[in-house]
Parts: sequence; structure tokens; C-alpha cells
Amino acid sequence: MQLSGFYFPPGSARQTEASLCIATDGKSLEVREGNGAVLAGAPLRHIAVTSRLGSLRRKVEFPDGAIFETADNDGIDAFLKGRSGTLSRLERSWRLAALSLVAIVACTALFILYGIPSSAGWLAQQTPPSVARIITDQALRTMDGNILLPTKLSPVRQQQIRNRFATVAGWEARGAGHYNLLLRNAPHIGPNAFALPDGRIVMTDQLVLMARTDTEIDGVLAHEMAHANHAHGLRSVYQASLVPAAIAFITGDASQFAQMAVILPAILLQSAYSRKFEQQADDDAAALLRGHGEDPGQLADFLERMELKSCGKTGCGPSWLGTHPATAARAARLRRAPAP
Amino acid sequence: MAWRFYGRLYRIEAGKPDMDTRPLTAPQAPAVRNTLRFEGSAGEYFKIWIVNIALTIVTLGIFSAWAKVRSKRYFYGNTYIGTHAFDYHAAPLRILLGRAIAFGFLLAYSLTAAISPRLIGFWYLLFLAALPWLIKSSLRFAARNTSYCNVRFDFHGTYWGALTAFVFWQLIATVTLFTTLPFAHRARDYYNIYNHSFGQASFKADIPVGKLYKIYLAALAMIAGALIVAALSYGLLTGTKAGSGGPLWALTVAITSLAGMVVVLGIPVFIGARTFNLAVNSTRLGDGYIFESNVSAGRLTWIVLSNFLLTVATLGLLYPWARVRRARYMANCISVTGPEDIGIFQSMPVLAGSAVGEEVASFFDIDFGL
Repeated sequence: MQLSGFYFPPGSARQTEASLCIATDGKSLEVREGNGAVLAGAPLRHIAVTSRLGSLRRKVEFPDGAIFETADNDGIDAFLKGRSGTLSRLERSWRLAALSLVAIVACTALFILYGIPSSAGWLAQQTPPSVARIITDQALRTMDGNILLPTKLSPVRQQQIRNRFATVAGWEARGAGHYNLLLRNAPHIGPNAFALPDGRIVMTDQLVLMARTDTEIDGVLAHEMAHANHAHGLRSVYQASLVPAAIAFITGDASQFAQMAVILPAILLQSAYSRKFEQQADDDAAALLRGHGEDPGQLADFLERMELKSCGKTGCGPSWLGTHPATAARAARLRRAPAP
Repeated sequence: MAWRFYGRLYRIEAGKPDMDTRPLTAPQAPAVRNTLRFEGSAGEYFKIWIVNIALTIVTLGIFSAWAKVRSKRYFYGNTYIGTHAFDYHAAPLRILLGRAIAFGFLLAYSLTAAISPRLIGFWYLLFLAALPWLIKSSLRFAARNTSYCNVRFDFHGTYWGALTAFVFWQLIATVTLFTTLPFAHRARDYYNIYNHSFGQASFKADIPVGKLYKIYLAALAMIAGALIVAALSYGLLTGTKAGSGGPLWALTVAITSLAGMVVVLGIPVFIGARTFNLAVNSTRLGDGYIFESNVSAGRLTWIVLSNFLLTVATLGLLYPWARVRRARYMANCISVTGPEDIGIFQSMPVLAGSAVGEEVASFFDIDFGL
């Protein structure tokens, strides 16, 4: 048996039509010209053959750099007696292609639903408190004097808020020592409150002014403390790094349209994770308030008033784009009686 | 009589090379024109692509380097000039190492972005300093791992060459309010072309900068045209007070968004296609080979746009088809003319080069065209 193809001398483009056959010893391959002259030959174990890929021509590489090239894929595989790759067999089957597709979809879904949140959670747990403090200091330094200004609330009002804070912090299982309240005037941000990675909680003057009852303030504080309890701030930091990294790693091949096609899903994913955090913080806050005889419905009232102020009566756009769930859904969940 | 006869004969012989300005390496070998062909199929590539992604996921990303090599091999190995195709030789382990380093940089970069945005400036500086090195080493890695007919390509560009072509010329272009942009473009093309070689023969090019100016001015005219169309339709709208919701309003929105799309997508493709044609048409290899390219900006815009939309609409499933379609079009636009016998080409001994630069560059999505 012999295969026809082309012979190239070592490092040269000077091709000759030739054929490949097994030498008389049965363990070597030989390249012969049409007139029978041997152009190259070597024992099989010293010969490298490029792996089969689609219907590409195969190259038989001799130790000296000479090459025999042939389109006869099956013939070469017969010469190699099973040494040819399993990979190309996998790549030729439509059934395996379909199976791969199913596996890819399943793995991606599992990774998004469990892989990223739990690895970010694990990383957040491993992060020493000192690192969280540095991150928070950095963030505050950027914001203070820029978008956050010293509070303009009266000292009396400030003390009232601090008292509420101490009370709600006292309810928390971790103990009041884990939390810290920063009051800031934020004309550019408006009514808002947020928990920083190390558990410090910022509340804006604009939010305090909007609250009608102490329970509303309690609700907001309990919500932010829940964020601090679950280290949601740190987890977001890790998720923000993990999502694009994972997408880049998997699609490393598809860089052409990756810029556009990958950024949007990454943003959507981030918002989806953020909405989950908000829901968890709402649930914890509701449980804490109820446990101490307060009505979580007042937090719901407050949220609705905030939305009315910032977005008018039409609402704030579709919830699947936002970092927070729709206010109506949040309010309904807060007002719902706890599961017995 | 005899003297005059010989004299004329001599003159005719001496005049011959002048008639054909292209010097031939072997006078007896006639030049042949070969158009590139892409012979891969979308179905075949789909199976390869999807199985390789599945294996990448199963191996937690490690297989991605092998997947990349297989994918590159598929496209190189199906691109034919005459009876032979190109080949890609990169070692997956090198790519894996490069990718791991690139991944580390990306992780550090995005962690910095999240933790202390003020330090981002440091990364930009580092990135700018590394850019010429990234360009140089990724071009070299790509060239050294590409072969045709058992002969390797090579790239000899230096860090300073890349710094001059990609950073200094760009700075000059910016300082001169982009009036010297074609010169910057030519510097990049020259860095790319003059530093490439095939075996012992090197690539050369003479790009007339006037033609580059023409391309950029045409692009400028198209941008101006699109703006005028948008302004006119806006004027039409406000002039007639059609208000929102009417058919005129819908027409205006349609015209404006079409003009916007032409600017955003069409102009870069137009400049890319025209300057590519110009560079290829000005390139020659050794003494006997010239190149031609006639990529149509309109056709390419259509292919890029419809490829993108169809890929997104099918959640990536049509990506292999889109890639094959583009490769087939591009191959059919390019041809090589020169002596049929390429036996004179001989590989020069080269090292494979490191994949770190290439992988970092492709991770951060730097594309050098071509």
C-alpha cells in the first residue's frame, strides 16, 4: 500500500510528487519518487504526523525536517494503526456536536447560577478585615469632598439618627460593634444609603429628610446592615472581576465581536446578582423589624415614595436592567406576612 | 549592413527589461496569477468549534490553548494558493502559558479597577510602555508559526520600530490635528510589511501617501455627508412641526439612524478595506512576486454587519458560519502573481518565539489588522 502526495526537502519549498510507503522492515516509512528512488526514510517512532483536523492535508515530518504531505487522511490513519487522535473523531460527529452544545448551555447556566456567586462568596469570606478596611478607605477618599459632603443635619437630628442606628445595631446577632454610621450631605446623589465593604454605612441627609417616621429609618438601616452581614460589597467587587474574566477565558477564541457581544451580558449579569443581594437584604431587614415589633411595610412605603420622587409616576424603567428589583415587587414582598 | 543588423539586435535585447519593469528571478519561468481560495466548510468547522468549546469548559479552560491552535490550523490549512495551503504551527503549551500570564494581568487590572480606581493610571502607563513590545512579539509569534510549502515566515521588527510606528507617528498625527494621519498609517503598514519575510526573501512595499490621503479624505466626505443627511432630516422635522409619532417622524428617525450606522460601522470598514487593498497592491516579495487585493468596502460592510447580527441573534451558533463566510470572501479578493516554481524559497533557521505577547495582546483585544 502506498499514499500519493508531495515531498519537500528539509526547509525547502522545492516540491516533488512522491509516494509514501512502509519500508520492507515494517517499522519505517519511506518516501519514494516516481522512478522508485528513496527521497526520505525514518523509523515510525521518529516520525511526527500532524493530527487530523477536518479534511486538512496531513504532514509527515521526518527528523531532518523533510516533509511528506498528503490529502489521504484515512490512508495515513491506517499507516499509524490507531495512533491517530481521538479528538478528530469527536470533531467529526454531529451527535457529539449536539451533545457538546447541551453540555455548554448546562455548564454556563450552572456557572452563572452557582459558580460565580459561591466563589465570590468564598473569596469575600477569605478576605481579611484589614483589606476590606483599606478598600473602604480608598472608596471614601474618592467620594468624600467630591460627591459626599459633611452633613448639614442639626446636631439634635444627627443624635436621633445615631440612637436609631445603635438600637437597630443592637438587634443584630453579630453585635453592635460591627457597624458604623457615616452621615453625609450628597446633593448630587440624592436620597440614598449604602453599605461599604468593611461594614461602614453611609446615609445621606437627603434620605433622612425624606423619612416620615423612625421606623422608616430603622428599615433602611436594617437593610444596609444586612448587606454588611452578607459582605455584599466585597462580593460585588469579586463578581465584577470574575464575570468579565470568565467570559474572556471561555471566548478567548472569539475576540472579533467579543467586545460588543460580551459587555452587554456582563452588565446584565452584574445587575442580576445585585438584584439578588437587594432581595436578600430586604428579607433580612423585614425579619429583623418584625422580630422587634416594627412594621416592614413602612420600609415599603418609603421605597415607593423614593421611586415617586426620582422617576415620577411612570416608574423607573424595566427591572431586568436595574441593579434593584422593581419597587412594586419589593414593596409587596416587604408587606407580605412572614412564612409561618 | 551587418553592423547595423547586429546593433539593432543588441538594442532590442537591451530594451527588453525596460518593457517589463518587473524583474524576474528565473527568466525561463513564466509568471502565473493565483487567486487565494478558502476551502473550509461551515458545517465541518461548526463541529470542530463546538466540541473544542465543550472540552475547554470540561477542562476548566486549559484546553482553550489547544482549541485556539486547532481553529487557527483549520483556517490557515484551508487557505490555498495554487495547489498548496498555509499551515499554523504554534505549540499549545506556549499559548497556554501566555494565556495564563494574560489572565493574571486581566485579573489584577480588574481588581485594581474595583478596589482603588486611582491606581488605574499606573496600569495605563504600564500598558502604554508594553504596547510596542506586545505588537512586536505578537506579530513575530504569528509569523514564525506560519508556513507555506514547508517554508516559514518570520518577523524582524524591533521595540523601537513599533514605538516609532505606533506611538510616535500617532502622537504627531494627534498634534497636527490628524492632518498627518495617512503618514501614521503608512508608518504602521511599513513596520508590518518591511519586517516580514518568507524564507530568505523579504517583503517590500511602496505606498504612495497621496493615495492614503485620498482614502481618508473620502472617509471624511462620507462622515460629512452622513451628518448633512442627519441635519437635513432633523431640519425637515422641526421645520414642518410634524411632531413625534407621525410617518414623517418615523422616516426621519429611520434616515438618521441609517446615517449614524454608516458612520459608526461603515467608515472604519471603508478605511480598513481601502487601505488594506492599497497596502497589498503595493507589496512585493523578493524579486518576482507581486500581490493584488480588491476588497470591496460595501461588500465587507455587509458581511461584517450581517455576520454580527446573525451571530448575536442565534446566540453565537452561527459564529462558525460567519467566520468561514468572511474568510472565503477575503481569500477570493487576494491574488499573487509570480513564477510558478517556488523552489528557490528556503527556510531560515528561526526560534518559535514566546506566545506571551500575543496572548496578552489578544486578551486586551488589540487588533493590528490584516
